[in-house]
Amino acid sequence: MKHQLRKAFLTGSTTLMTLAASSLWAIAQEATFVMPTNEVGAATYNPVKSPMINAASPLIFDGLVVQDVDQSFHPHLAESWEEAPDGMQWVFHLRKGVKFHNGEPFNADAIAAWIPSFAGTDNAYMVEAIDKVEVVDENTVKFVMKRPEPNLLFNFASAFMGIPAPKAYKEMGDKFGVTEAIGTGPYKLTSFTVGQETVLERNDDYTWGSELSQNKGPAKIQKITFREIPEQSTSFLELKTGGVDLLFGVPTDFIAQVKAEPNLGVITTPAYDVAYMPINVTSEPFTDIKVREATALAVNQKQILDSIYGGIGMEAHNFLISALPEANVDPKLNISYNPERANQLLDEAGWKTGANGVREKDGKPLKVKLWAQTDTEFKRLAEAVQAQLKAIGMDAEITIYDSSAIRDEYKKNQHQLAVRSYEWNNADIIDWFFSGQRLGYPNISMWNDPKGEELNKKAMTGSKTLEERIANFKAYHEYVLSQFVFAPIYQPVTSVAYNKDRLKVTDTMLKKGIEPSQIMDLEVVQ
Amino acid sequence: MLSYTIRRLLLLIPVFLVVSIVIFLIIHLVPGDPIDNLVRVGSTPEQKAEITARYGLDRPLVEQYLIWLSQLAQGDLGTAIVMRRPVADLIAQNLPYSLTLGGLALLFSTVLGIAAGVIAAMNKEGRIDRTVMTGVLFGSTMPSFWLGLILILVFAVQLRWFPVSGARSWESLVLPVLTIGLGGMALVARVTRIAMLETAGKDFVLLLHAKGLPARRIQLRHVLRHALLPVVTILGLRIGWVLGGAVTVEYVFARPGLGMLLIKALSQHDYPVVQACLLMLAMAVMLGTLLGDLIQAAMDPRVRSALT
Repeated sequence: MKHQLRKAFLTGSTTLMTLAASSLWAIAQEATFVMPTNEVGAATYNPVKSPMINAASPLIFDGLVVQDVDQSFHPHLAESWEEAPDGMQWVFHLRKGVKFHNGEPFNADAIAAWIPSFAGTDNAYMVEAIDKVEVVDENTVKFVMKRPEPNLLFNFASAFMGIPAPKAYKEMGDKFGVTEAIGTGPYKLTSFTVGQETVLERNDDYTWGSELSQNKGPAKIQKITFREIPEQSTSFLELKTGGVDLLFGVPTDFIAQVKAEPNLGVITTPAYDVAYMPINVTSEPFTDIKVREATALAVNQKQILDSIYGGIGMEAHNFLISALPEANVDPKLNISYNPERANQLLDEAGWKTGANGVREKDGKPLKVKLWAQTDTEFKRLAEAVQAQLKAIGMDAEITIYDSSAIRDEYKKNQHQLAVRSYEWNNADIIDWFFSGQRLGYPNISMWNDPKGEELNKKAMTGSKTLEERIANFKAYHEYVLSQFVFAPIYQPVTSVAYNKDRLKVTDTMLKKGIEPSQIMDLEVVQ
Repeated sequence: MLSYTIRRLLLLIPVFLVVSIVIFLIIHLVPGDPIDNLVRVGSTPEQKAEITARYGLDRPLVEQYLIWLSQLAQGDLGTAIVMRRPVADLIAQNLPYSLTLGGLALLFSTVLGIAAGVIAAMNKEGRIDRTVMTGVLFGSTMPSFWLGLILILVFAVQLRWFPVSGARSWESLVLPVLTIGLGGMALVARVTRIAMLETAGKDFVLLLHAKGLPARRIQLRHVLRHALLPVVTILGLRIGWVLGGAVTVEYVFARPGLGMLLIKALSQHDYPVVQACLLMLAMAVMLGTLLGDLIQAAMDPRVRSALT
């Protein structure tokens, strides 16, 4: 009897323990992330209409293709695709058995309903090259093009091309993305308060994870809360006190502090930014290409990387992020620090060393204007560049503007040099910043060159396939480099900080960073 | 009293018009425009012109102002250019947070400010008076942005009593309310103390003492009642201040509210949102002042009789 009782007690306690363990597990499978500060305040999860989208959006909506950090494209909701040799037709074979969160099936009709909904929105240019969408069968869709668009896969991989459930999208109108957002993604939107937080619940039916994640679904974490915190010191303190588990986009200044905490980890990966110095080619003395070249060669990328960024990140030697194939230009054309050549070029251009080490020509000193926007980073960059220009006898005077005002000032064409950066992972950024159609801003260099325009046109609209596009953009990029219309400076990193006691990251994440597809593999420590 | 109220309300209309013009001009004359925040890499100059036209930003300023004003008269605050939502919705979503925070902070500074002022006045020139007044001086000179971070460090990071940021529970209200309330408390305490000391020198107080009333009773029943008049005026002014002053505090504590909305909209040059937020803050100041005057009139028969 006693024995029996004891046994019963034992089983009871084991049951209790299992119960306790399972409830603990349920509680633990929740995580809180903090959005990058530049994504704070996104007002809607409508990928079709929204001009701004945040880190939670790719978890709610899947796209046809996904792009890896090495910029290669991989199948997702499209299993495969074929492009006609003349670029005028694309056929996409869709994955079977995919369902939207509300039970609607994902099929060719969903695509046919989705593409036309871009008309009239700010994102319309993404599908502008598509003339019409033809439904071949349930799982095959054909895009008939107005013109070849080798950039189509890039657009399809963008977060703005996450696919919404067609019926819900139509029925909800402007409420879509505000009260509810329905896609096929690994997480469902449960609540959303603008500027505050977004709560996501796991989609338990999800089995169509892309090949970029080991786990094809469902995701491991049950509930993710994305918080929006604009002040970076505040979000760091939240991480430190365990209020949140992960910060996207930790500023370089904070990395040392995060590393000093034993329970925090940092993952640093190349970002999509390039810091550079545009040179206004219409302003004396920069109308002379020799002065431009000298100015560009005076910028010491290594010194800036070491002194301002503590060696974190990469030097930039041309206009594009290193991961893009178009960045792989003829090495001779890359712009690197070369003070001897810079001095020699200025001598040749007639600027002779004068009093106080500042060069002179016809009695006029080599004084130039150097602009920057208010952020601390740009101020420091401007000071570093100022010192480096001084070394070749150029006296640069720094003026600081606020980030919106500076664009209006550029349009007045009163500027000469400026330090700034952009964030983009496609070669068409060269068109954005150097096309003769957009002088002032974004074309701060005020560069309008007939050959440049010709190469631009060829790269932007004259390419039929991706290979052709890469070759054309490379030629355009090389020409831009040869004209010294800017000086490349720095390629920053993006850093994610997380609580090691709470989250278990994979080796892939340590290498590639925590991309949306990687969140499938992210686990809460038991 | 009623005619006075109506007259004061009517007087608000010209003030409102002037304020609206100033707000409109400030935001439109500052360099930079919202369209630059909308166009993305790859869109053409024609597309940009189209968007500009869609929001009427290509029209003359006077025309834009008149359109805005006529819509405003019909209760339409417009649609946010960058955030893409009716401005009224955005305000409605954020205002409750600001009102809760502002209201509690005002309550905190009123109650504690008056209490501190009374204590200081009753112990005039004594050790307690000096201590309270030093503390008050300290509280009124600290910038709220910095005070907020210090409070987070002490109470959230070291002691872990309250969450660092957010607006999810009542605990998350404590630190922001303290941050805003301390500054207001300092002001109220100083005004209360001075008003009480001034009133204490009046003839009727001397009479009360002569009648043999206990000193404590004279202070709390009679002196304080008179001394509260300037305090009410100050509090009326603070109503508007509390909403506006919460801007940096909301930012530090990552709390939604009018201030957060304003900062975000300012950086994007989202004209309709900035205009609406500034207008709300200006209205709060105007109505707060009015309320202060009305309460004062209700409390003080002398003010009332001067009105008629």
